[in-house]
Amino acid sequence: MQRLLSMVPWIASQDGPALAEVCARFDLTPQELADDLDVMWLVGLPPYTPDALIDVVQEGDRVWIHFADVFDAPQRLTPDQAVALLTAGASVLALPGADDGGALARGVAKLSAVLGVDATQVLDVDLGIDASDVLDVLRTAVTAHRRVHLDYYSYGRDVRTERDVDPYLVHAEDGSLYLLGHCHLAGAERRFRVDRIASAVLLDERFDPPASAPVAGIFQPDTDDPRVVLDLAASAAWVAEAYPVESVEPLAGGGLRVRLAIAGEAWFERLLVGLGPQAVVVEGPSPLRDAGRRAAGRILDRYR
Amino acid sequence: MSAQKLERLLNLTALLLDARRPLTAEQIQRQLEYPEERVAFRRAFERDKDELRAMGIPLRVEKVPGTIPAVDGYRIPREEYALRDPGLTTEELGALYLAASAVQVEGLPATEGLLKLGGLVTEGSRDLGVHVAPLPSDPNLARLFGAVSSRTPVRLRYHDQERTIDPYRLEFQRGHWYLTGYDHLRDEERNYRLDRIQAEVEVCDGPAFDPPATTVPGRARGAWELGGEDSVRARVRIDGPQASWAVQHLGPDHVIEETAEGSVVVELPVTNRAAFRSFVLSFLEHAEILDPPELRDDLVAWLS
Repeated sequence: MQRLLSMVPWIASQDGPALAEVCARFDLTPQELADDLDVMWLVGLPPYTPDALIDVVQEGDRVWIHFADVFDAPQRLTPDQAVALLTAGASVLALPGADDGGALARGVAKLSAVLGVDATQVLDVDLGIDASDVLDVLRTAVTAHRRVHLDYYSYGRDVRTERDVDPYLVHAEDGSLYLLGHCHLAGAERRFRVDRIASAVLLDERFDPPASAPVAGIFQPDTDDPRVVLDLAASAAWVAEAYPVESVEPLAGGGLRVRLAIAGEAWFERLLVGLGPQAVVVEGPSPLRDAGRRAAGRILDRYR
Repeated sequence: MSAQKLERLLNLTALLLDARRPLTAEQIQRQLEYPEERVAFRRAFERDKDELRAMGIPLRVEKVPGTIPAVDGYRIPREEYALRDPGLTTEELGALYLAASAVQVEGLPATEGLLKLGGLVTEGSRDLGVHVAPLPSDPNLARLFGAVSSRTPVRLRYHDQERTIDPYRLEFQRGHWYLTGYDHLRDEERNYRLDRIQAEVEVCDGPAFDPPATTVPGRARGAWELGGEDSVRARVRIDGPQASWAVQHLGPDHVIEETAEGSVVVELPVTNRAAFRSFVLSFLEHAEILDPPELRDDLVAWLS
């Protein structure tokens, strides 16, 4: 019904659009459109005599709607629909290289005007896609299927490394930008955070992109990663939600005992110093068992 | 929905849109194809009203003028129903469709809004070069956007306190939605993370507030700014290898000193000490709180 309330004013405002165009615009099959138009034949106002009903004329592959004054405007946008559209518009306008005077900017401005808000004042979306030379290189490399040389800071292991990567996709998620590609150093598909790439150099080598589009999935632990068992206080129970834990058991007092795969020692140190007294390592290989104490010691050295 | 039911709902919408004054249930029953039997009619009519309201159609109940005792009547005010035509060109509609396809808000389909605006137009599409994951939604997002648009104060529960807020703007930063607004209780502008708002936001009946003169749009929020504690300014030194990432993360405005070796000193407003500590500790031994002593001591005590 909502589709009809959107479609009727549009058809009525046009001079006999093609049926195929109506189907494309309103996401309908020809049969669905025919069924909808059949219903419109019977809609109108009292006394529902032929002259008071909406007039649907179909000729060849075109359609006209007359006397639909009562439905001369589509329904207002709901707040849901307004947020969805303006968020999309504002996000794309905030991308590096967006055209401030282009069709999208004009469209968002017109939409803002009828909604009575200034979208640029009340809605601000930062996808974490900031203009940078690195991003320019990566976008070029992805489209041209060219290899890149990266200087990358690995947060999980707290080291800087240089490597060659065949870049498949630049992907924005949760406010961060990632590069997905085949890493020649690791010999496998890897995900890199673009803001931790200190520099990217376009190389001459070309690569064949994978046949199926890569999926920008979340972090998956390697089967070889060491495991630790951690007791969490009730106030640190969020850890079980935030990271891919392998098992969770409740402890007395609202705490949790979790088993966790550790992909990088520095990552684990950060987790432990952040949790402080709220977490205790109860089981794990020796370098990880006292990782928290060692990291705390190094940090405290700066404060002496 | 059966064709017969669809026809009746469309005719009901047309009838109530066209009505100059509210129509009684009996008048509506006479005009449309409803059961004659009273109870069956009432049941069908109630269901129809619910369905129209669920579609966002503003069906109003008003007293019919001149009836004693007063009788309920129904109508759909055109000014509340109809979307003012924004006059989008095909190109602008196409740009909005492209944006809505590239950036989606989970659970808030933009296509319904586009249908109302003239349909899905695929003209002039081009690749953005970046793949964007759907943005998370929030149960309060649409309601808050409505309140921001109409400049209506809201009541909400945050950090276990009831607050009345003039909502100024919504921002999406690093994977989270934030509300910026004037907090009546604290008498200052504050930021709230939507997913930490406890329960549903309530839109007040109060008069519209004046738009703010001072809000600075587009500034990234740190978790350390999202608390109810007294505000202090903290200075943190961040070492070379991590500095560029930190500056990108915080924004250059926070940098108050840069050294030749590449380290920086940043100044941050802190109203959430625990979140601030977590942030500093995420740098492990590559960062140090310089000021104030109170926050230095807090970190040392946490790690000792």
